[in-house]
Amino acid sequence: MKDNKVKSTVIKTVIYLFLTLVAVIYLAPLLWVLMVSFKTNAEIFTSPFSLPESFYLDNFIFAWTAGKLGIATLNSFIVCVVTLLLSMLIGSMAAFSIGRLRWKLSKPCMTFFLLGMMIPVHCVMIPLFTRFAKIGLSNSLIGLIIPYLTFSLPVTIFIMTGFFESMPNELIESACIDGATIYQIFFKIALPLSKTGLFVTGLMTFVANWNELLLAMVFISDDMKKTLPVSLSKFVGPYNTNYSQMFAAIIIAIIPTIIVYCIFSNQIVDGLTAGAVKG
Amino acid sequence: MDKLLRDKKAIILFTAPALLLFTVVLFIPICQSIYYSFCEYKGLTAPKFIGLTNYKNLLKDKSMVFALKNSIFFLLFSCVTQLFMGLFLAALLTNIEKGRNLFKNIIYLPCVLSSTALGLLWMFIFSPKLGINQALEKFGVEGPLWLMDTSGFIILPMWIIAFVALWQYVGQSMMLYMAQISGISKSLYEASYIDGCNKVKSFFHITLPLIRPMVATAMSLNAIGSLKFFDLIFNMTEGGPNHRTEVLATHLYTQGFKYNKYGYASAIGVVLIVLCLLVTGIINKFVKTENYEM
Repeated sequence: MKDNKVKSTVIKTVIYLFLTLVAVIYLAPLLWVLMVSFKTNAEIFTSPFSLPESFYLDNFIFAWTAGKLGIATLNSFIVCVVTLLLSMLIGSMAAFSIGRLRWKLSKPCMTFFLLGMMIPVHCVMIPLFTRFAKIGLSNSLIGLIIPYLTFSLPVTIFIMTGFFESMPNELIESACIDGATIYQIFFKIALPLSKTGLFVTGLMTFVANWNELLLAMVFISDDMKKTLPVSLSKFVGPYNTNYSQMFAAIIIAIIPTIIVYCIFSNQIVDGLTAGAVKG
Repeated sequence: MDKLLRDKKAIILFTAPALLLFTVVLFIPICQSIYYSFCEYKGLTAPKFIGLTNYKNLLKDKSMVFALKNSIFFLLFSCVTQLFMGLFLAALLTNIEKGRNLFKNIIYLPCVLSSTALGLLWMFIFSPKLGINQALEKFGVEGPLWLMDTSGFIILPMWIIAFVALWQYVGQSMMLYMAQISGISKSLYEASYIDGCNKVKSFFHITLPLIRPMVATAMSLNAIGSLKFFDLIFNMTEGGPNHRTEVLATHLYTQGFKYNKYGYASAIGVVLIVLCLLVTGIINKFVKTENYEM
């Protein structure tokens, strides 16, 4: 019996040591960048691993203004919020119609939407790009919102359909008897009851679009309209030689996400996992 | 009530916006893309039909060979390593009590961060004069040119990028497996302990068979994700040195939007779609099984 206890303590210690090592591998790169972003360019080469001597904030100010990260953050925010709201509305409308309304083609329609999950955005980029250039949608945030919205819809529709299908029938029946229209049922009963689904899909949409690089890079060349990943990728390039400013730019780009993640980490991790399980 | 739910006007009103977007932004462009792949199309003039020439050129294109090789390496590497590391971490984390959430959240963190920022970050860590090489210098070792080495069948930069991708996304697989494992009823384990199983044995005989459906899901997610893979490579090496770290997505971007060869890039896109459909098909056929009662 005593042997067993010793053995399990040893095993526990090994597990915790291993997990601590893993945690260090995860956090060390992020902490290193945070540390060197407060140094001057010369200090990075002379003392790369010591704590910064003073909090040298000029790097951040330069990255924010010259790197146009301020305007880029705002653009990203606008694009993501608009996409989020529209995809929730349009997606759950379609999901409600597939999951609750009664029509013959609802199943094929669902299959059509689900096909969208398999298609990588790269494959539609060229026709969209040439089309948008013709109708004046290139270099505009709307031209970015439209494809983002479309590629967020399959997951939203899939998850929300599940939520609407599992809604108890009696609720809709009693609303019917009380004389509610179908629109009232959707907005006043179905949507408020599916808050979890909206949260999960909204989170997935927001995270994916906030980090999207390829489409934004192709569609937008105007510096004032660029989103955060594009501006960052451009600022931190082979032609820039001031490393501390580039490190500061990286920190500016990831710090908002990290702060939000630290506050809501459990909800975010569970929400995104729930979304992926169902998707 | 039936009449209310069969209201034609409501059905059209609810479904039309999504259907319209899908048709205009997804379905029509895909068809156009397939058509362009048979055309010479440089943007300024209208597409001109040239048959299979683009596809024949693909076979002769050296960068395409690198891109295809790297994409397939990447696909296999991420499917295998994510499966093993994800399962291993999930098994460890479900067996500890204290600090489970902390470790889980730390490992998941890079999944929500911008892969552009993380790619740039790792690019600096592996750059010739910063990061790891500065640390090596302290011990008097001269570090290699990590991201510029070109020797070997799979070159060093590809391995580095593959490990960075594993570092970034393993949290996703881990969470999927953890979610599935925590759904397995405790009584199954208790019964197995009474029958003389230890924890390792019960993992192989109870946990593994029961989470097999989730393996299929996680693997398809990994597979499609790794075929689409763009951000990390673009920011770490931009496909260089000399196109040796090109993958399908970066090759498509370079050909299409640097050289404006829209027709040729569309052909790469078609290859990408075919691979995506093929791989998900294979995974679903061989890994997916009936759902067990849990």
